[in-house]
Amino acid sequence: MEEQQSVVEVRDLVQKFFLKPVLNGVSLRLSPGECMGIFGLRGSGKTSLLHILAGVDRFTSGTVEVLGCNISKSQRFKQAIGLVTQEPSLFQDLSVLENLDFIAALKNVRQDGIERVTAQLELKDYLRHQVTALDFGLYQRLSLACALLNSPRLLIIDELIKDIDLYSRHLIIKQLKPFLQSGGACICGFSNMEMADIFDQVGWLENGQLEILAPLQAHEKWNNLVNSYKKPGDPEND
Amino acid sequence: MTNLNLKIMRRELCYMWRDRGLRNILMFGPLLGLLLFLAIYNAQNIKDIPTAIVDLDRSSSSREISEKICNAENLKVVTYPTSYQELEGQIQRGEIIVGVVIPENFARDVALHRHTQVLLIIDASNTAYATNASTAVLGVTRTISAEAGIKTLMSKGMDPAQAKDTYLAVDFKEEGWFNPTLNYVYFLVLAMALNFWQQCCTIAASINVIGETGVKSWLQIRAIGFSKFRLFFNKSLIHIMVFMAMIIPVYIIAFGVFKLPLACGFGPMLFFTLLFAIALHSLGTLMSSAANNAMDSTRFGMMVALPSFVLSGYTWPIEAMPGFLQPVVWIFPQTWFFQGFNYLTFKNPGWDFMASYFWALIIIALVCYSLATLITAWMER
Amino acid sequence: MKQLWNIAHYEFLHVLKDPILILIVFIAPLFYASLFGVVYFSAILHDVPLAIVDQDHSALSREIRLAFANDDSFKIIAGIDSYEEMEIGMKNGTLRAGIVIPQDFEQSLYQNHPTQVLAVYDASNLIWGLNSRKFIREVINDFSTQHTAVRLASAGYSPQEIENIMNSVECNVTAWNNPTYSYTNYLFMGLMMMAVHQLGLFGVCLCVTREKERKSWIQYLAASIPTWKIALGKSLPYLIMNFFNYSLILWVSSRFVQVKIEGSVALLIILGLLYVITVTFAGFIISLYSSNSLQATRYLMLLSLPLFMISGYTWPKAYIPEILNYIGVLFPSTWMMLGIRMVSINTAGLQLLWPTLLVLGIFAVLAGYFALNFKKERNQPNKSSLSLNGGVSYPRKTNMLRALRQQIRASKL
Repeated sequence: MEEQQSVVEVRDLVQKFFLKPVLNGVSLRLSPGECMGIFGLRGSGKTSLLHILAGVDRFTSGTVEVLGCNISKSQRFKQAIGLVTQEPSLFQDLSVLENLDFIAALKNVRQDGIERVTAQLELKDYLRHQVTALDFGLYQRLSLACALLNSPRLLIIDELIKDIDLYSRHLIIKQLKPFLQSGGACICGFSNMEMADIFDQVGWLENGQLEILAPLQAHEKWNNLVNSYKKPGDPEND
Repeated sequence: MTNLNLKIMRRELCYMWRDRGLRNILMFGPLLGLLLFLAIYNAQNIKDIPTAIVDLDRSSSSREISEKICNAENLKVVTYPTSYQELEGQIQRGEIIVGVVIPENFARDVALHRHTQVLLIIDASNTAYATNASTAVLGVTRTISAEAGIKTLMSKGMDPAQAKDTYLAVDFKEEGWFNPTLNYVYFLVLAMALNFWQQCCTIAASINVIGETGVKSWLQIRAIGFSKFRLFFNKSLIHIMVFMAMIIPVYIIAFGVFKLPLACGFGPMLFFTLLFAIALHSLGTLMSSAANNAMDSTRFGMMVALPSFVLSGYTWPIEAMPGFLQPVVWIFPQTWFFQGFNYLTFKNPGWDFMASYFWALIIIALVCYSLATLITAWMER
Repeated sequence: MKQLWNIAHYEFLHVLKDPILILIVFIAPLFYASLFGVVYFSAILHDVPLAIVDQDHSALSREIRLAFANDDSFKIIAGIDSYEEMEIGMKNGTLRAGIVIPQDFEQSLYQNHPTQVLAVYDASNLIWGLNSRKFIREVINDFSTQHTAVRLASAGYSPQEIENIMNSVECNVTAWNNPTYSYTNYLFMGLMMMAVHQLGLFGVCLCVTREKERKSWIQYLAASIPTWKIALGKSLPYLIMNFFNYSLILWVSSRFVQVKIEGSVALLIILGLLYVITVTFAGFIISLYSSNSLQATRYLMLLSLPLFMISGYTWPKAYIPEILNYIGVLFPSTWMMLGIRMVSINTAGLQLLWPTLLVLGIFAVLAGYFALNFKKERNQPNKSSLSLNGGVSYPRKTNMLRALRQQIRASKL
């Protein structure tokens, strides 16, 4: 019974690039309504992990179940996930509205979803703009809007609110709350410890291993790490 | 100072080497091209044109005709179908290029001096093939009708000497100059390999400017304020050296091993090729300065490089193209090169005549490099 | 169905927004058809520049000159009176053929001394060479016939008798399929099929690589849409355009270039459909598996010449080594080029064409199968290769101008 309740269930996930392990036996579990942050510095494998969860990348070994569906065997879970990537991945030669329309078509959802998400993320005034000309904050709002089009049960987000304007950031975080309350789950890659507080738990990804911590613990670990590089007498110490 | 130039050149060489696709193309392209075309034209010329004879008469006279056709140069009788329909099928299937039909009652009609017809059919769908076949057929038909005529005259009471005299045709001796055996290898193989080579070179040349200005490292060069002229001069030098390094083994194999004709000698040929390499590079550089990215630039380059051989008049002659097109094709360096290449390898008409070909390539190079400089300067302003 | 339509719609929009793609998909096929059409428009050589070096100045030598002068194939270049002058002319390309009539030719001939007229032709270009040789023989044959007729007439035979004598065995030479020996009929359609092949590939071969380079491919991968819909949707605009271009080329060829296009229209359509399907899906597969669009384009471009040569379209298959012929049959272009010649020039019917149709059909099915059934999960990226991709990462003036224009347009709306 419990098995079915979890949204994401990862066991012993291994991903290797040219024999070099990027993920080395990662396991994690995510229940509905939960929001997990995956913390890692550049090159730690966050994006690899998230792309595997989204069913985009192949992986070396392990089992990954998303919404009760083994992702190596079936594509069905993709109907109920939303993905926001770290690198801009919307269609560059299309306008905002065209992007929404096209991604809605790809996800095979009805057009009324577009109105809903544009209202939620306040994109109404920008519908005819080219995405290449959007400010970064707006771009991320649009990315999230596209991910929400199919009312997903799992949101996979990679560096969504890293250094964007504060209004957009506020708007995005505001959207996440009702999403989680309605039973959605969210897994989110981030690299700035300041944001750890918005998550229920933090997965600390380092050397291919994932360690699940509470936000406070993560903060502590981060501070300890930073401090360990400070030596007495360093000018940084001030 | 020269040390710096050398460093730029070395970096460019590394750059070309690490671009795996480019490396493969440059290292193996022209040589593979030469070997492939050599293999395709292995037979060298069209002899033994497959011929079928339908002898509906089966008499000694008809056998005489068959024999003449069997002995004709370049025709090779491969089958004797029993009916016209069978022959038709063989021609339709492309098994036979020349078909001969000797009608029923041929011997009787000849004996009675009645008008009789031998039908010779040539499948002309491949014109190159058919032109050869037709020439061979023309040789035979002349003897056949002449001999028949002489016989008729003799039967009419004319004495043999006089009859022969009447048919005494003007005897012609044919000489194909510059390529007496009509060898396709001499004519096409190296030219095709050079055509392939110039396509490969265009690919390399068309990333000259954009390969530099289109990537982020260009910021470094701008920030340092390094002389663009010096950078591109050294880059181009390496490109042209690489182009020449690609073609020299091809020339060695073609002229040295396979003994293709080279009337003008190795030196002038190499110098002419060098000028063409420079002109070609200048054209590629022009494309690369005007394009938005390496991809577009390569495509522009290919739009010129691919049809240029057909336009160069190396095969289908420029004189046979419509009047308004003739001046246009001389814009392309490829036309000057392939025309000049034909003169140099087969004819060697002397410096006075060839000078314009050398100068044209130099002028094209100067114009293209200047335009490329202007465009790059404008883009960077 | 709606999804499919949407993907096709947006792919088509993309084509319209990319000037180079517009060029490749809409303009280039017609451009190449016109260009090569113009090049080969005259179809046969005529007015071959010919010198007649007459060292005999007799009635007979003048007759020979007249025979060549009256033939359309040759244009006599005046003012060349010596062998040396002819040699120079042959070397610098002002002459392509020459006739040398030796001194005392007429006299020697009638006294039965061995004597010969020398006919030379320029074989450095075999199109000049082979045609000149053929033309010379034709003129000589005609000349000999006429000469004999004149002699018979002077011997007192009536025209009717002369005809009977001379035609006692008439050799009737007819050329089938391409009676004028037209080079246009011979070469043009092959070149055009190569153009359809290459332009078709170039058009479609970036449709996925482009998305990969811009990272938007991930949107397709992360959606639950089945692969065949992606493949078919993205290929559909190209399929339609390629087939349209194929038909357009056929029409232009027969209407303006006057290439012989006869034979069954239905067969031409089926051939074209199979070919276009194969090419388009093959391009999609290349697009799917090539990580770098520039490299893919480079290799593809270089293919045209070897593919054309190996097909046996110009140099007859019988003269090509077996092993190369075996390689040749692996390419759809070989089958198509030979197939279209069989239909349009040789007016072959289904009973001759079915193997071609069958093989092209197999190609089409295979290409379709692999295009529509690709694996959606990405393989691990290949990081070792230096990638110089099609995108521009450093802003250039034209790019900035374009971005600015887009912004202005957006703010207006």
